[in-house]
Parts: sequence; C-alpha cells; structure tokens
Amino acid sequence: MSSATTPIQPASEPPPALVPREWRLRLDPLLLLAVLGLVACSIVTLKGATRLDVEGQPDFYVYRQALYAGVGLVLMYVVSRIDYTRLQDLRFVVYGVLIASLLLTLGLATATRGAKAWIELPFFTLQPSEFGKVLLVVSLAGFLVSRMRLMGRQTTARILLLGLIPTMLVMAENDLGSALVYGVGILALLFIAGAPWRHFAALGALFAVAIAIVLVGAPAVGVQVLQDYQKDRLTSFLEPSADPADAGYQQQQSKIAIGSGEKTGRGVENATQTQLDYLPEHHTDFIFAVVGETYGFVGCALVLSLYALLIWRALHILTIAKNLYGALLAGGITVMLLFQLFVNVGMNVGIMPITGVTAPLLSAGGSSMLATFLAVGLLQSINAQARETAAGKGRATIFE
Amino acid sequence: MPNPIEDRRPPITPQLAVRVAVLGGVAFVLFAIIFFRLWFLQVLTGDEYVSQARENRVRKVKIEAPRGNIVDRNGRTLVKTRAAPVVQILPNSVPDEETEAADEYRTALASAEGARLKAAEDLKALERRLSGKRRKPTKAQKAERRRLRKASSRAERVAIPPIPADAPELRALYRRLGKVIDLPPRTIHKRVVAGLADQPGANVTIKTDVPPEAFNFLLEHRDEFPGVVVEKKYLRYYPHDELGAQLFGTLREISPEELKEKRYRGLEQGTRIGKDGIEETYDKYLRGTDGFTRVIVNSMGSRDDTRTATRVPPIQGRQLQLTLDLGLQREANDAMAQAIDAANGNFNPAKAGAFVAMDPRNGEVLALGSYPSFDANLFAKPIDQKTYERLNSEDEGAPLFNRAISAGYPTGSTFKPITALAAMEDGILTPTTVLNDPGVFRYGGREFKNAGDAVFGSLALPRALQVSSDVFFYQLGASLNERGPVIQDWARKLSFGKPTGIDLPGEYGGLVPDRKWRDKGFAEYQKCAKKAKVPVGTQAALFACGGIERPWAGGDNVNLAVGQGDLQATPLQLATAYAALANGGRVVTPHLGQEVQDGAGRQLEEIRKPLARKVDIDTPDLDAIRSGLLAAATQAGGTSVDVFEGFPYPVHGKTGTAERQPNADQSWYACWVDDPTRPIVVVVTVEEGGFGAEAAAPAARLILEKWFGVRGGEFVQGASRTQ
Repeated sequence: MSSATTPIQPASEPPPALVPREWRLRLDPLLLLAVLGLVACSIVTLKGATRLDVEGQPDFYVYRQALYAGVGLVLMYVVSRIDYTRLQDLRFVVYGVLIASLLLTLGLATATRGAKAWIELPFFTLQPSEFGKVLLVVSLAGFLVSRMRLMGRQTTARILLLGLIPTMLVMAENDLGSALVYGVGILALLFIAGAPWRHFAALGALFAVAIAIVLVGAPAVGVQVLQDYQKDRLTSFLEPSADPADAGYQQQQSKIAIGSGEKTGRGVENATQTQLDYLPEHHTDFIFAVVGETYGFVGCALVLSLYALLIWRALHILTIAKNLYGALLAGGITVMLLFQLFVNVGMNVGIMPITGVTAPLLSAGGSSMLATFLAVGLLQSINAQARETAAGKGRATIFE
Repeated sequence: MPNPIEDRRPPITPQLAVRVAVLGGVAFVLFAIIFFRLWFLQVLTGDEYVSQARENRVRKVKIEAPRGNIVDRNGRTLVKTRAAPVVQILPNSVPDEETEAADEYRTALASAEGARLKAAEDLKALERRLSGKRRKPTKAQKAERRRLRKASSRAERVAIPPIPADAPELRALYRRLGKVIDLPPRTIHKRVVAGLADQPGANVTIKTDVPPEAFNFLLEHRDEFPGVVVEKKYLRYYPHDELGAQLFGTLREISPEELKEKRYRGLEQGTRIGKDGIEETYDKYLRGTDGFTRVIVNSMGSRDDTRTATRVPPIQGRQLQLTLDLGLQREANDAMAQAIDAANGNFNPAKAGAFVAMDPRNGEVLALGSYPSFDANLFAKPIDQKTYERLNSEDEGAPLFNRAISAGYPTGSTFKPITALAAMEDGILTPTTVLNDPGVFRYGGREFKNAGDAVFGSLALPRALQVSSDVFFYQLGASLNERGPVIQDWARKLSFGKPTGIDLPGEYGGLVPDRKWRDKGFAEYQKCAKKAKVPVGTQAALFACGGIERPWAGGDNVNLAVGQGDLQATPLQLATAYAALANGGRVVTPHLGQEVQDGAGRQLEEIRKPLARKVDIDTPDLDAIRSGLLAAATQAGGTSVDVFEGFPYPVHGKTGTAERQPNADQSWYACWVDDPTRPIVVVVTVEEGGFGAEAAAPAARLILEKWFGVRGGEFVQGASRTQ
C-alpha cells in the first residue's frame, strides 16, 4: 500500500535549529502571508467601500473586521499549537455540537435576506453554519478515519448520511450557499479518503435526478423545495439581463462594477457602483466586485494570487500531513475554501449563480472570518505536527 | 493493534497523490477560468462597463428653457413667461391601491366612451330605419331616439373611486398636503387618479401656481411629504388678458407623433411646444434650448448633491415682434363690444363678430381678432373641462373660435366691388355704362329686389356702389353667368376661396360657389339619396346626404354678385381683397410675424414675408370702383356717409348686410384709407348684427379714429338700410 517512491515527496527537511524551538511560531510562513495579505486586502477594500454605510462611523466595518481578524489570528495560533489528532477522538462531541448549534439556529434565528441562519448576540451576530463548515470536516474526517479499513459502499453511504443531516439543517435555514459548501466538503472528504470513482459517478447521477426533481418534479406536484428567491437567483444567472430590477440586477451591477474598474481601477472616490449603492451587499457577497471596481485587474489579480497561494499551501500541507486524519482535514478545508472562493468570485464576475456564499477572509463578517481562521489554524496545526514529526519523529504536544 | 493507521506517518499513497494532483488541477483550472473572465471583463470590454456605470449614476435632469416673449409692433409686451411653483406627485410613490384605482378608472372611462359610441351608432341606425319608413315614428321609437340622443351626446360620467381604505399613510399624506396647498384630500386623490389614468408613469400635477409660502414650506419639509415634488415651472402670462387671445395659441407637451416630425427634430419627450396660433407658427424662435444638469443619483434614485455635476444652462427663446398694434387691438375689441351693444339695441341678437385691420401695402396685420374673446391666462395653467366647454359653447359665443380667419360667411354687399371688377375686366361693363334700377330684377321666375324696396333709377358703377344698388349688380350677375365663372375667377384672384396664407394655423379657405362645385355636389347628393333610399328633396335626404339639393342655376350667380348665397369668405379674405383694391392690384399675404429679436428688442432676424401677387387691373376700372367706394362713405347718399360724418380722412368703404337665414342678418363693413404713411384696411363683421351701417361701420370708424389719432370715440350708427 505504501511506497518509497511517490511522485509527491513530503517536505522532510527539518528546520534548522538555530533558533530555540520555543521561540519559533512553527507556522507555515507562506500560508500566514496569504492569510494576512487577504485580511489586509479586506480591510483596505472595506475602508473605501463602507465609509458611507454607517452614518457617522466611516470605519465601522473596518474596526469590526480588524477586530475579528485579530481575534482570528489568536484563534489560529492557539489552534495551531494543538495537536489536531486529538479532535479525532472528539468526533462524536464535535458532531453533536454541530447538530445542536444548527438546531438552535433554526429555533432562534432571525431572518436576513430570506435566510434564517443568524443568531443575534449582544455584540455579535453568530452564524453557526460558518463554524459548522469546520466542525463538519473535523467530525466527518474522524468518522472516515475510524472506518478507513472498510472503505467501501457502506462507508461512503454512512458518511454521506452523517454529512447530509447537517446539510439538510442548513438547507432548512434557507442558507443555500452554506449547504452547497457542506455538500462539497463531504464529497472532498470521500475523495481524499479514496472512495472509488464509481461512487462519485453514482452520486453524480443521483444528484442530477435530485436536481430534476427539485426544479421540475416537485413544483409540478406542488412541493417547493427551493424558495422562490433561491430559484430566481439560480436561474437569473442563466439569463442575466432578464430582469434587471431583481436577481439579475445584482449580477449585472456586479459585472458593471468589475468591468468599469478596467486595468488599474477607478479609485475609491470614483467607484460609483460601490459608492452610490448600485452594487448590493458590497461589503459581503459582492466585495470582490468592489476590489474589481476600485483597484481594477491589478487588484483582482493580487487577491486571486493570495487565494492561489492559500490553496497551494493548503494542498501542500495536505501532502505532508503526518496521518490520514490530517490529510482528510486539510483536504476538506482546502476544497471548501476553493469552492467558496470560486463560487463567490464566479458570481461576482457573472459566471456562477448568486448563492450567498461569502469570499473567505475578504467579506466582512465575524463568523465567516473566525471560522476561516479556525480552519487555517487547523492547517497550521497539521503543518506543525508534520514538521515536528519529520524533525523529531515524535508527537508535538500542546505546550512544550 | 500495532502501528495503528491513524498514528502512522503515512508515506503518501499513489492514490492520494493522484487525487491531490486532481485537486490541484481543478484548482488551477478554476483560477484560470476566473483570470480569463476578469481579463475579458476588465481589459477587453472594460470601456463598455465604464459607460454603463456612468449611465447608471448620471441622470440628465432637464431645465426647461423659458420661451421668448411676444411683443407688438411698438415693443409692448403681449405674452411673457413667468416662473410658477407647481406641486406634483411622483407616480411610483403612490401605493398600489391608488394605482389600481387609476387603472379601474381608466377602464371605466373607456367603457363609458364605448357605450357612447355604441349609442351613436344605434341612433344612426334607428334614424335610418325611421326615415326609410313613410310612417310616423311611434311613441316608443321617439322615446328610444330621445334616449339614444342623450346617450350619444356625452359619455356617462365615471365616478372616481374613493381613497383606498387600506392606505392610511396615503390618506394622511393627502390630508397634510391638502392643508398646505389648500385642497381637500379628496380633490388631491381625484387629481392623482385622473392623472395616473390619463398618463401612467408621468408626474401628476396636483396644483399649479401654489403660493410662495406653501412652496417654501414643502421645500423645507421634503421628508414629511414623500413622493411630493415641488418645482418651478414656466407659465405663459398674458398681461392684456383677452386682447389677441385667439392669436397666440397655447403650449403643451410634444406628442409622440410630433417628435418624428422634421420641424421638431432634436427635441426630447416632455418638451413643451406651441400649439395653435403664433406659438405654433413661430415655435422654433420662441422655444428656447432646454438646459440640463447631470446629477449623480444613487441606486435608490435620490440625488447626491455632494458630488460635482455638470450644468448646461437653458437658453431662453427669442423675442418675437408682431406687426400687431396693441392700442389698435384694444380699440377694435372695445369697438366690437359697442357694435354688439348697438346691434342688441336694435333688437338684433348679436353676440359675436370679428375684425381685421391691415396695412394694404404689405399685409402687416395691425389688429385681428374675434369677439367675444377670453382671458388667455386661463390656458396658462391646466384648464378644467367645464371652463373649456364654456369657451367652446355657442351660447357663450365660442370665444376660442377665431372668426377673423376661421369663419366663412356670405359677405353681402361688401362683395360688390369684386363683381364690378369682374364685369369691367370681362368687358360687359365700363365705368360709364348706365344700367336701369327699377327696384326689382326678374330672373328665372324669381324677383330679386333692392333692400327696403328702394328704386335708384339709371346709374353707372360709381353711383351703384355709393348707394349699393342691388339690382345693378343682379344684372351683372345674370349677364356674367352666361360668360362662365367670371366673378368666381376674379374672386379667387383677389384671395377668396382659399386660405390667404396668414401665419396662423387653422385658417379657413372659404368657398366661391360656381357651377362645377354645385353640379358635382348635386350629383353626389343624388347618388347618396339613391343609395340610402330616400326621396330627393326631403328632410331625410338633407339629413343623410347634405345640403346640395339642386344643380347650379343662374340665380346662384345673381346671388353671388351681391355677396349672398353660398359664398363663404373669412373677414381676412375680404380685407385682403380690399387691400388689393387699395394698393392697385397687389394681393398681399397677411402676416403677424415681424422680426425675431434678442431680449433687449434688437433685431436678430427679419421674418421673411411672402411676396405679393400682382393682379392686372385696368386703371380706369379700378378708379371707378375707388370713386364709388369713396363716395359711399363721403358723399351724400352714400351708404355709410352718416357714419363717417366729420371724419377728416378720406374713407373708401362699403357696407354689407348678409342674409343668413334663419339667423338675423350679418352686419359687414369693409373700408380703407389711403394715406402716404399710414394706409389701413379695416374689415368688421358682426354676426346677427343687422345692417352694415348700424353695427359694423361705426365700429370700423372707431378703429380708424384710433389709428389716425382722431378725437371722437362716439359710436355713430348709420341709417342706411341697404344690403
């Protein structure tokens, strides 16, 4: 099963022990750079885009975003010092927390833009489905590893079942975007775990049938699975200009914003699409369009490069993970991040439907930011553990 | 469990390697897609989106240009522009209930109009049925006809639904707004519904010319009146109220059809253009160039005034000088009032008339109008239906109707000079030919008599004009009938029978009756009667097929010779013909437009006048007519000599009394004064005013007195009872 001559070699060089071990952060510097770079881009963009959004507080979103980023960085560092492998034993607890939080959300949530995914706290609006992304990967990867020897139809079905429960709960919150991310995360875990190709083929066929039922079959017999606004969003992407006053309008305005940025952008003052509110949700879902309008192709290229760096490092960490659980975690996280950024940027540039998926680290929003830092912390932990293992052939402990 | 799988440092398996490679490949492809898409949007087609973004945020807000003023020949203002505050409601701000009410109202209006048209059709069918039968209509049929007549004359009134009950905010808004602009909420609601029904999508004007306090209050409390806009709008102002009111026309928004016309090229929807009168003819000068500001608006449509925007100021239209003399116009209007009073004193039911004063040399119109007139300021604001109907009603004398250019009448004896001219130029008459007037002329089995059964004996042309011998001209008419349409040809040469070409829309061409016209009309009448199966010559046939019930007869020419019968001429046509007599045969084109000026009255452009058409007339013939007309107003026995007694200028004038049965006779006077510097032609007519010397001639004298600055001002009625 294992071989010494694999095409992708783990980084086995131990770090030079010039600096005492305790002083080193043991973080992947490129991953950290990508994350910090994206947070910086987010704050700069928000500063220009939201200066008129809250009366009298031009930096309302900037402060909040910086605060979240600060908390997130601490969270990331703390998580990176934990041996993620322990989470595998906590898989039932994690899964339980996941389900409980989603159920709680359904009970308490206040509806925003049709979705019912937010819990109002005194200083913070919590979106459990964001944290759920990480919890789902952590727990499902644990379940997967425990059944690794039995990798087969049974396992695939069980994992799917376990994964579908929270996914359906998120669907019930009308948070279509997160549900899709969950689904893709589950598939990614199965993929990394080595589920046979034919399982995916079968799943693909099943999915096609499900789509047909949801969009054509169910409405025909009077059952609405998707909310009207969700269907609007999904179909408006196919005919972007059919109704400029509604769903297609957002996408049209987003395209205008990005296109009008041209090569080097229009600058904050002249970015009229953003400044005059033509661009909806310009601090969250459509923040990439703000980057496009304000900083042009150059700005977009920078953000995309940072994302690419993030994905590359994440994939790299996946390959060096010290155990399968780490590889699964890294894989799930990577694919989720990749999917989110592609869907978000894709809907900004008009090639994907509007699904309410935020851009990781870029969009304003505490839950998304903290959840992403949590995920990146896990990646850092996998990276640190891998290096510890490679260097000392031993297990890293929390506080050495 | 040795070496548990989860604790092993796993050498990466080939399967995992493949799958990671696949993931990496997928990531690469996704990034590539996004990069290409961005390249396409931002680099290849960026320009397009830049302009779309600009269109998004920039709204062109029109600044209406004030129209140019209209001044008289002495520079006195006749029409000017003033800014008036108006209150409007935005159509998209009213709740759906209100819009639905408007839709309902529109549908109800349409069906009411449909019912009216249906009733009109039924009525026609019923009358055809009744006229086809020889029997008298039954009582039921009569009742049915009465009902249909009523139903077809006016569409049933449609009540505007009350303010929607489930729109308390709207009701509150109307109440608050009503308090400010002094209108009951119900009225505001009615205007909104009617406005939305009439023009969905356009701002509804609730009130024009609100007091400045209300205007300022609304401006300052904009937030409390959502959907209410106040702005200044230019209105026309007519400082002299009813003077020349029929000449100026009104303004209204350009229609979609007119937008396509060449003369309105470059105008935008919503531009107000002149409709009717001087405003229409000289619209291109009077209309200014609208300016605009580019304002920046956000996605909610509210203006962002903190951002700089370009502003192109409007350019006021040019000032237009007319040939009209305000003083003369006023005097003529007053003279008409006196003439009508005088006619009423003579037990004639006069209430309307018209006047024309013109420079015979070039056709400059010095005064022109119709009586009664109306306050032109009524049309500066949206006019209500009741007022509009009143201004059109016959009972009120139809003040909107400009009789001077749009009404065709027989002109009575004022037509005699044209007959005389035709006879002389045709050679059957010379200035000295003496004809006998025994007081009666028998022709075609009919007796044509002089008015008042006068007998003038033997007379030549000048004398015949002076005393207005009808028999003299009856003979000419009868003789000329043998020689073809001689009178008709000369009448047409002197501007009868077609529009004179005055620079006012809506001119009536009139009718010079001849054999061809009557025979053709009669043939059509016969055909129509046959088709409708009604006997020729009955009331039913008249109703179904019009009035030409017989072919041309010599008697028609006899009637025409004295300006009676089927002749239809406008006062302006008569004035143009008399101008030609006065100036030696040049038929001028009457006109009001003089020159285009800047705001300070300096000439910018002279308005090109059409050239006069020269008609060849032998001088002795013309002299004979002139001396006859001069004698008529200045020598003993002349028909208007008593009217002009003591008038220091030599007046050439002819009275006319046109028979228009069943109405009372129409009073006419046409005259001119030769003067080296201030020659003038005046034509006055008073509908149902009696004899020419009684009503029209004294009014003409008042106009002449004003023109020559002669003291007088007395309305002197003449005693002549001639036609």
